[in-house]
Amino acid sequence: MGLEIKFTERELHPIMYIIVPLGAFSLAFLCGGILMSWASVNPISGYEAFISGAIGSPVKFADTLVRTTSFLLMGVGLAFALRARVFNIGAEGQYIMGAIAGTWVALLLQENLPASITIIVSLIMAMIIGGLWAGFAGYLKATLGINEVVLTVIMNWLAFKLLQWLLRGPLKNPLSEMWPMSPPIQAKIPVIIPGTRLHLGFILAVLIAIGGYFLMFKTNYGFKLRVAGMNPDAAKYAGYDVRKIIISSMILSGSLAGLAGAIEVLAVYHFLYEGISIGLGYTSIIVALVGKLHPLAIIPSALMFGALYNGVVYLQSALGVSYTLSKAMEGMIYLFVLISEVFLKYKVRIIRR
Amino acid sequence: MEKPIVSMRNIVKRFPGVVANDHIDLDVFKGEVLALLGENGAGKTTLMNILYGLYRADEGEIYIDGKKVYFKSPKDAITHGIGMVHQQFMLIDELSVVENIILGLKEYGLVLDLKEAVKKINKLAREMGFKIDPWQKVWQLSAGEKQRVEILKAIFRNVKVLILDEPTSVLTPQETRELFKIIKKLIANNIAVIFISHKLHEVMEIADKIVVLRKGKVVGKLSREQATPQLLAKLMVGREVFLEITKRPKKPGHVVLEVKNLKALSDKGVLALKGISFKVRAGEIVGIAGVAGNGQKELAEVIYGLRKPLEGKIYLFGKDITHKDIYERIRIGISLIPENRLGLGIVGEFSVAENLILERIDEQPFSLNIPLLSRLNIKKINEQMLLKYSRELIEKFSIVTPSPFAKARTLSGGNIQRLILARELGRKPGFIIAEEPTAGLDVSATEYVRKLLLEMREQGYSILLISGDLSEVLSLSDKVMVMYEGEIVGAFRPEKVSLDDVGLMMTGMKRLPKEVIKKIWD
Repeated sequence: MGLEIKFTERELHPIMYIIVPLGAFSLAFLCGGILMSWASVNPISGYEAFISGAIGSPVKFADTLVRTTSFLLMGVGLAFALRARVFNIGAEGQYIMGAIAGTWVALLLQENLPASITIIVSLIMAMIIGGLWAGFAGYLKATLGINEVVLTVIMNWLAFKLLQWLLRGPLKNPLSEMWPMSPPIQAKIPVIIPGTRLHLGFILAVLIAIGGYFLMFKTNYGFKLRVAGMNPDAAKYAGYDVRKIIISSMILSGSLAGLAGAIEVLAVYHFLYEGISIGLGYTSIIVALVGKLHPLAIIPSALMFGALYNGVVYLQSALGVSYTLSKAMEGMIYLFVLISEVFLKYKVRIIRR
Repeated sequence: MEKPIVSMRNIVKRFPGVVANDHIDLDVFKGEVLALLGENGAGKTTLMNILYGLYRADEGEIYIDGKKVYFKSPKDAITHGIGMVHQQFMLIDELSVVENIILGLKEYGLVLDLKEAVKKINKLAREMGFKIDPWQKVWQLSAGEKQRVEILKAIFRNVKVLILDEPTSVLTPQETRELFKIIKKLIANNIAVIFISHKLHEVMEIADKIVVLRKGKVVGKLSREQATPQLLAKLMVGREVFLEITKRPKKPGHVVLEVKNLKALSDKGVLALKGISFKVRAGEIVGIAGVAGNGQKELAEVIYGLRKPLEGKIYLFGKDITHKDIYERIRIGISLIPENRLGLGIVGEFSVAENLILERIDEQPFSLNIPLLSRLNIKKINEQMLLKYSRELIEKFSIVTPSPFAKARTLSGGNIQRLILARELGRKPGFIIAEEPTAGLDVSATEYVRKLLLEMREQGYSILLISGDLSEVLSLSDKVMVMYEGEIVGAFRPEKVSLDDVGLMMTGMKRLPKEVIKKIWD
C-alpha cells in the first residue's frame, strides 16, 4: 500500500485568495506560539507585542507604511520580471546598487544644489543604476541563455561586497571610525505626517503601483510581456521580440528596486550603511507572489509584510526575544504562505492505493 | 509450419475521434524481418506501443510463444523478450554506455560490477559486428551510435523480438547500411525484428515480410518476392477519391512568394532542407505532399521566420525577406496557420478577444498613442476597438464561444482553429502558409476550413498548403509538389498525375526530372 499525492489545477472563488493566506498566517502564528513558549516567552504577550509593534500606535503604523514602501516598489518591479518568466532573485542586489547610487549622487550634489533637485537626480540615478544592474543579467539571459537565478544571486553578493568596500573606502565617513557608514545626507525626502517617519516615498510607491497596473494590463507592452511569459513560442510566432521583453522586464524590475534602495537612504536613514538591506529583496519575491503578480494586489500584500516585519522587530526588542528566534518566526510565516500558494493553485488529494 | 513467436489478434485501439488500430492481426516469426509499412498516422507506432506495453488495446489479444499475455507496462513486455528502439532515444546523456545498458536491471542492484558488464557488452558488440566504447558518455555519441547502444540494451536483456521504430530517420546513408548489417546479424541469431518505416526502398531491401497499414487497417500482407514498389505504394496511399470540391479554374497572377535554393537544419542538426526552390502566385494554392518528417515543417518555419536558413533566399511580394524578423514579415503580408495550435497558435490563458489581436496589438487603432511613452512603443490598448473587432471576427468566422472574454483554451478544437483562422485571415495577409489545417478536426470543421481556403484563393490570396492528407492536397491545390528527404522530388498539376506516381514519389521511389519540376513554376 502506498500513498500518492495528486495535484489537479483548479479555479477558486476570489475570496479564497484572502482566506487562504490568512489561514496560513494563523497556522504560522500557532507554530510561532509553540516556539515562543518553548523559549519561555509567554505567547500571548508575545503576540500583543507583535501587534502593537505593527499597528499599535500612529507612529508605529507609520513605520509599517515606511517598510511597506520598499516591499511595494520591489514587489511591483518583480511582478514584471516574473510575469515575463524571468526569475529575478536579484532585487536585493538591485536595491543595494540603487542605495549606493542614490547616496553617491546626493553626497556629490547636496553642497551646490537645492535639496529637491538633489533628491530627484539621486532617485533617477538610483533607478538607472538598479535598472542597468538587473538589465545586465537580463541581457545575458536573453542573448546567451545564462540562468538568471544563478546570475542574480551571484550579483547580489557582488553588490553587497561592493557596498562593504565602498563604506570602507570612497564612501567612508571620516568621522565614524568604528562603524562603516557614509557621510550624512542633508537632502532628505520630506516627511508627510509630522512626528512620524512616514515620507513622500510612500505616496510615490502607491502611485507607481497604480502606474504598474496600467502598464501591465492596459498597454501593448504589458500585453506582450504577459504573452511572452505564458507562451514564449506563441510570442515569437506573433512576431514579438522576446529578448527585448526579457531585458526590459529586468530593467523595469531593477530600476524599481534601485529606487526603493535610494528612498530608504534619503528618507529613513539619511546615510548609507551595511545593514541597508537585510533580505528585503528576497522577502519582496514573496510579497510579489502573494500579490499574485498583480500591481494593485501587491499593495495589501506589501502592507501585510510590512506589518509582519515591524511586528517581529518590536517583539524582539520589547520582550527580549532573541534575534534568531524572531527571524525563525518570520521565516515560518513565509514558509506557510508559500505552501498555501500550492493549495490555492491546486486541489491536493492524498490517495491511498 | 513454424509457430509465430508473437501473434496479435484482432487488436483495436481507439483514440478520441479516430480508430488508430482497427482489428489488426499480426504474426511475427523468429529470424525474420517483418516490415510495417504505412503513412504517418496509419497506426504503425500505436500497434507497436501496444506490443511493447506502453498502450493497452481496447480489444484483442496478444500471444507470445502461443501463450496469452497481458502487458501492464513495458516492464512486462521486456520480461517476455520484447524490446523497442523508439524514434527518440531513451538514453541518459550524462551516463556512460555501460551505465545506460545496465540501468534498471535487478542483478545490478546493490553492488555495481561495471567491469563484468563491460566484458559482456564488448562480447555482444563483437558478435554484432560493431565497435563501441562502453565507458564513453552517451552525449558524445552520434545518432547512429546511440541507436546501437539501444540495440545492445535490448540484446543485453535477451530480447526475442526487437521493434525498430523508423530507425533510419536519424541516420546518414552510411549509418543506415551499417544498421542493415546489424539487423542481418540479429536475425541470424534467431531474433525477430519488426522494422517500422515509410521508405519503400529500405523495406524492399531488408524485409522478409511486409505488412502494409492504412488508416488503422491491414491492407496488405506480402512476402518480399511478391512485393514491387508500385504495388506497395498503391497499397500505402490507397485509392483515395478526390474530394467533391468545385474549384473554378483561375489564371494565376504575379509571383507572391519565391523561394530559391533554401537549405536548413532540423532540430536534430540534420540537413532537413536540401535546396528547395519554388514560386507561389497570386490566387493560387500550392500544395506540398509527402510523408510527415521530410522537411515540410522546417520549410514552413523557415519561410515564416521561426527557423534560420543556412543558405538560399526568400522573396515575398518582391522583397527579400530572408533576414527579416517575423514582425516585419507579418507587416509585409505573411501568415502561418500552425500545426501546433495549442502550443503556437493561441495563448490559452488569454481571452478569445485578446487572442484575435495577438499580432496587431501594436497597431492603430488597437493601441493608441500616449504622450512620451509612445516613443518607447508603449501605447494604450483601445479596449473598445479590440472588442468591436473581435466581435466582428467571431461573427464572420462563426466561432462558438460563450463571449469574447472566454479563455481561449476553453474552446473546442474546431473553434480554436476558427479562432486562429479568423486572426490570421482577418488581417488580410496576402500569403498564407496553412500547416495541416484540418488535422484532428471533425467533418464539419474540416469542410469549413477547406471551403475557406478556396474562398481565399478566389479572392486572390496565395496559399502554401502543407498536409499529410493526400486527397486534401490533390483536390485543393492548383499545383502540387512532393517532398522527400528535404528535396522536391516532383511537382505537377494534380489533374495530370496518377496516384500511383504520387505514392512512388512520396516514398522516394520516383523522381521527376529537374527540368520538369522547374517548368511548373513558370
